[in-house]
Amino acid sequence: MAQEFLLLNIVIWVGLYLIVALSLNIEYGYGGIPNFGRALAVLIGAIAVGGIVNRILMVIFGISGQIIDASGVVKTTLNDIIAQNPIYGIGLFLFCLIVAGIVGAITGAIFILPSAKLSEDYLAITLLAISEVAFMVSYYHPDIIGGYYGVTFPNVFNFVPGEVRLSVFAGVIILIAFFVYLFVNRVLTSPYGRLLKAMRENEDVVSAYGKNIMMLRIKTVALGSGIAALAGALYSMFSVNVIATNFSRVEWTFYPILMILLGGLGNTRGVFLGVTSFVVARILLITYKFEIVEILSLPFDPVWLEYILFGFVMLIILIYRPEGILKEKPVFTPPIKKVIKKRKVGSE
Amino acid sequence: MSVLEGAIIYSNLLVLLAVGLTLTYITTAVPNFAQGSFAVFGSYIALTLLRLFNIHPYYSIPLVFVMGGLLGVAIYMGVLKPLISRGAEVVILMIATLAVDLILLGLLGSYSDYLGVITKKSAKKFILTPYDFEVAGTTGIFFVSILTIVVILGGLYLLLFKTKFGVAMRASMENPDLAEIMGVNVEITRLTSWILSGALASVAGVLLPFRQEIVPMTGGIIIVSIFASSIVGGLSSIFGALLGGYIVGMSESFVTFYLSKIFGPSVLVYSRVVSLIVLIVTLILAPRGITSIKWRRIKWLKNFFS
Repeated sequence: MAQEFLLLNIVIWVGLYLIVALSLNIEYGYGGIPNFGRALAVLIGAIAVGGIVNRILMVIFGISGQIIDASGVVKTTLNDIIAQNPIYGIGLFLFCLIVAGIVGAITGAIFILPSAKLSEDYLAITLLAISEVAFMVSYYHPDIIGGYYGVTFPNVFNFVPGEVRLSVFAGVIILIAFFVYLFVNRVLTSPYGRLLKAMRENEDVVSAYGKNIMMLRIKTVALGSGIAALAGALYSMFSVNVIATNFSRVEWTFYPILMILLGGLGNTRGVFLGVTSFVVARILLITYKFEIVEILSLPFDPVWLEYILFGFVMLIILIYRPEGILKEKPVFTPPIKKVIKKRKVGSE
Repeated sequence: MSVLEGAIIYSNLLVLLAVGLTLTYITTAVPNFAQGSFAVFGSYIALTLLRLFNIHPYYSIPLVFVMGGLLGVAIYMGVLKPLISRGAEVVILMIATLAVDLILLGLLGSYSDYLGVITKKSAKKFILTPYDFEVAGTTGIFFVSILTIVVILGGLYLLLFKTKFGVAMRASMENPDLAEIMGVNVEITRLTSWILSGALASVAGVLLPFRQEIVPMTGGIIIVSIFASSIVGGLSSIFGALLGGYIVGMSESFVTFYLSKIFGPSVLVYSRVVSLIVLIVTLILAPRGITSIKWRRIKWLKNFFS
């Protein structure tokens, strides 16, 4: 049983982190936009579920009051309805994802506007600062997602029995992550993906070819943030409560950067490899933390060990293997393949 | 503690942190995301000396200065130098400082647990105001922070403008390639800037617990204000850091204070929002900071509206 739980946990986190890492790979790996504020988009996804959808439900069911208490009422009301009528649960689930995607994309598009005038380093600082401040405000302000106390959310799969709930969620999350993977792969192998790589290498050349760099950036970050917000929404629906502390910079900005650097920048298969190896290591570390502390007889909380360890892993990757596990490969489009074939034939 | 007094203390500390950040940015071209944790490092050394050896935090400043310098050396030699010699880009260096920040957070956190165990008194969060003295109704930290700023900035001025080494250092800040051709060892100037940066930040860390509560996470929270100070003044000007520290420190304290009079005390927690707004307004109007503005011909105004 414990092993099954461990496995399901790994599946869930691979799914969530795969979505976020893929979104970051579009922006940073392909587009070269140093988004140090990835956590914001994930937080926005959570706000879309806990703050926006919850309020819509409050209006529909005529529940009034503060969001913290009202969300509890919404939860009990909806849980009963969903238990009898699975279609409502599935509808609510899809609705949450759509809202999160749209709100995430809009926020992303606004969030990147300062980049119009800034160089990479200034941009990274600004994005990090915005994300950090948004985190703080949603933690302190009780009217967004309940601040310090958080808000609850109905269990959208309340119609399945409690003992298989975890497996169902794991299946759904990994399925959505798989769809996102296919979608991102499709988008990045299109001309748009090659345009992004061109922007990463040299913005001046791209604008000389008549492309609007700013529009391209806005589109890219809107796409990336919309995808990352899905992860925030999924995580909130899975944990049935939304609290800002779950969306810290370390967990949703630093770790995703670590995962894509580990797997290899600008390379979708690499991202999958990076996410899987990171999540397995992290879940094992979390699951066996007390054993580790006992064996090493550490006089402190094991959570610090995780920070130290992953910090060092990041430095080792940066210094000794900056290209990651899988190197980025040149793109072979059909016309290029044709040219190569012709040359081969010609040389023979 | 009156609002003005608190604002001046806070601004002084921001200046110390922002000067360090600016120094390393000028020489190494990397914004150091671990600057806030450098400060917390200093706070914990001061706390250790207080709890274990009963040394008053004010007397521990020289020792903390040295320890902070060593931290700067360790991070430059251990992390940034190998990366720079491998030709890493700016973004990679920034990610490296984020990793350093995380490692420092982990080390400080575990150390705070450990210190709590050996002194049998929790070190997870602490404040040093009870150890402060008072002169004519004004807190000691007010005078100490001003004295520290004067001594440190004076020393920095002498080092940079009155010694040969300072000339070499400024030359390699302006144009590293040219300075290297002229026989300046750029490596040493970079190392010096990291020593100074670590030392200044740690000293700020000793003084910070006299104004606010310290937890291992404090570094990650204060970093927004530090960056705002450096950028508002202009990331490439040391004088700008002085100006920026005061602008951000004052506006954070006063804007939140007056807003709290209107909207009630719940506004006080949002002081970081003020830094963010100051930061963004500066970036829109004068992306290179206040010291970059040529006041005689306000070209940027024309550029902005055209």
